[in-house]
Amino acid sequence: MGFQMTWENAQTVFDKLAETYQIYAPKRHVNAGRYSEVDTIQYDRVSRMDEIVWQVKSDYPAKEVLTPIQQAIFYFTEDEYRASKVSEKPILIFARPCDIAAQKVQEKIYLTNGGYEDIYYKRMLDRVKFALMECNGGDDTCFCVSMNTNKTDNYALAFKFSEDGILVKVADESFGTYFDGVAGSDYEPEFVEKNQLEVTIPDLSDPKVRQALKNHPMWDEYNARCISCGSCTVACSTCTCFTTRDIIYGDNPEVGERRRVTASCQIAGFDQMAQQKEFRSTAAARMRYKMMHKFHDYKARFEDSHMCVGCGRCTHRCPEFISISATLNKMNQAVLEIKESLNQGGDK
Amino acid sequence: MNHDINVKKMRINCFRQSKVPGEFMLQMRVPGGMVAAKYLENVKYIADTWGDGNFHFGTRQTFDIPGIKYADIPAVNKYLEDYIKEVDEELCAVDMDIVAGEKQEWNRESGYPTIGARNITGCIGNHHCICANINTYELARKIEPIIFPSHYHIKINISGCPNDCNKAHLADFGIIGVSKIDYHPERCIGCGACARACEHGATRVLSLNEATGKIEKDPCCCVGCGECVRACPTSAWTRREKPLYRVILGGRTGRQTPRTGKMFLNWASEEVILAVLGNWQKFSAWVMDYKPEYLHGGHLIDRAGYKKFKEIILDGVELNPECLVAEDIFWHETEYRSNFNVKPMELHHTAGPVK
Repeated sequence: MGFQMTWENAQTVFDKLAETYQIYAPKRHVNAGRYSEVDTIQYDRVSRMDEIVWQVKSDYPAKEVLTPIQQAIFYFTEDEYRASKVSEKPILIFARPCDIAAQKVQEKIYLTNGGYEDIYYKRMLDRVKFALMECNGGDDTCFCVSMNTNKTDNYALAFKFSEDGILVKVADESFGTYFDGVAGSDYEPEFVEKNQLEVTIPDLSDPKVRQALKNHPMWDEYNARCISCGSCTVACSTCTCFTTRDIIYGDNPEVGERRRVTASCQIAGFDQMAQQKEFRSTAAARMRYKMMHKFHDYKARFEDSHMCVGCGRCTHRCPEFISISATLNKMNQAVLEIKESLNQGGDK
Repeated sequence: MNHDINVKKMRINCFRQSKVPGEFMLQMRVPGGMVAAKYLENVKYIADTWGDGNFHFGTRQTFDIPGIKYADIPAVNKYLEDYIKEVDEELCAVDMDIVAGEKQEWNRESGYPTIGARNITGCIGNHHCICANINTYELARKIEPIIFPSHYHIKINISGCPNDCNKAHLADFGIIGVSKIDYHPERCIGCGACARACEHGATRVLSLNEATGKIEKDPCCCVGCGECVRACPTSAWTRREKPLYRVILGGRTGRQTPRTGKMFLNWASEEVILAVLGNWQKFSAWVMDYKPEYLHGGHLIDRAGYKKFKEIILDGVELNPECLVAEDIFWHETEYRSNFNVKPMELHHTAGPVK
């Protein structure tokens, strides 16, 4: 079932949807950028169809809707506690295919990792439906095609925005009623078939290769370039790491809340243990860890995909112009060298 | 050569006397230090045709072309018509027929009507720079019609941020772009990058509260540079939509009493800056009894005293709610000669209309 709408009647449909759903979409935050007179595009509640930014990729990912940077998980008083509450109203998220694919990775971590289902994630996920935004090609940091995340069928609605109007496909028939009286169309979403960027993922199945890559000098440059700010992982569509923090109300240590707050493997102290010991105490080691996790370790454990959807936001947000695709290329080069050396019987 | 040249008249026309008799250096105004690169062709043409083939970056960001013969000045002035028209009249909306508020028809082929060497300077600002809070040359272009052409002079330097690369601290009226910064604790991950950036590059007003994992700020001493915004990985710090300005007053170099300027206004809006500068001619005219001399800003404030300056310069200015004004200013001068100001009464300068 498909429809075509002018921007005017799109608002009528939006208003009807908003009666039932909390609608989240990429929204322009004026002047919120790192540099002056630069905006950011962030996920936020929207109240008008024309607030939805469809022309460019958002700076921050859709994951913030399900797992906000900061979230109260429970409140405590002496020996009692109660879980935080969330609105009963279901959620509709406008998202590109990469963001929808990323949700699958997040699900894996939050719902299956360690055989434990995270109730705070589950209760959000149960309320969420996706409105696919047909991607207009992304930008020069995207490589979804290489990561097989360019296509999805995980959507209730699909939208193609343009200056002239909006085409819609209703995949979940329960949404049909919102479009009463809207002109029909035979719209089917199209997916990006080619990005400007293509990456290949190095074959790291051989533990000897992995060990050699871990010690390869390719990582050294990041000690000089990476400032360990964590912008990449905050902007990452798939990263799930968080820490918990107990906040005490006023001067009574028995009353307060437990929050979870986004954490980043790129920030010093992430893996600090008792006696201030860290596994990875340099920017290079942290970068190596991130790359190996994204492009080997996750898949080795969960099998179905890598932990990267090729959205390019990490590259886009990095203040030091470190590109994940360029880093992958360097890994490929290093792996080639390592394999040659191993084949020649060299001991690396 | 002609040895009968009125060099003061030449100076007013923006041609500076050379040590070589009969030669002059043209100084072309470039408000905010930014114009289209195509004008470099004009500079080259003047230098090659009438100058000695060289070009100097004027210390106040003018295009300076030395070695122009006195006899060629009318031809140079005629050639300058398009540049002055396009840069001052069109880009900056200057009315060239008004000099210091008085009607005085501009002969378009006669070059600059008043001294232009006190050009408004600017750093590159947020047209390019990752630190800047403001667009420096757009502000310069708004100020230009307020202060030029005029026989009263003021040296204005505009810096895009409190790092002050363009030395607002050494100008009569130094303008620094600042931002009020909002904190969004719900986006803060407590990494402390902003606090480190503030300690390293600004005034150490941020600290990480280990108990809450959030940032605490001493707003009093925040210089509004925006380094916290630049350092934040989550956009938990954002600049307010409208930039604000700090004014550093009375800085100068010179043979007598060089000094750095002191803060006159903080968190002033653009409207306030333009309105204050709108009173500049009035203040200068009052100090010099309506007889302009080749004196600029800080010297006039010395003669009138800061409180008199403040009274005239803020006359009719509606301050924005955030704006703070110095109640008094105590400059610290380098006295090349100790007790420089102690001298016979008859050597004292006067200020204000002579009764």
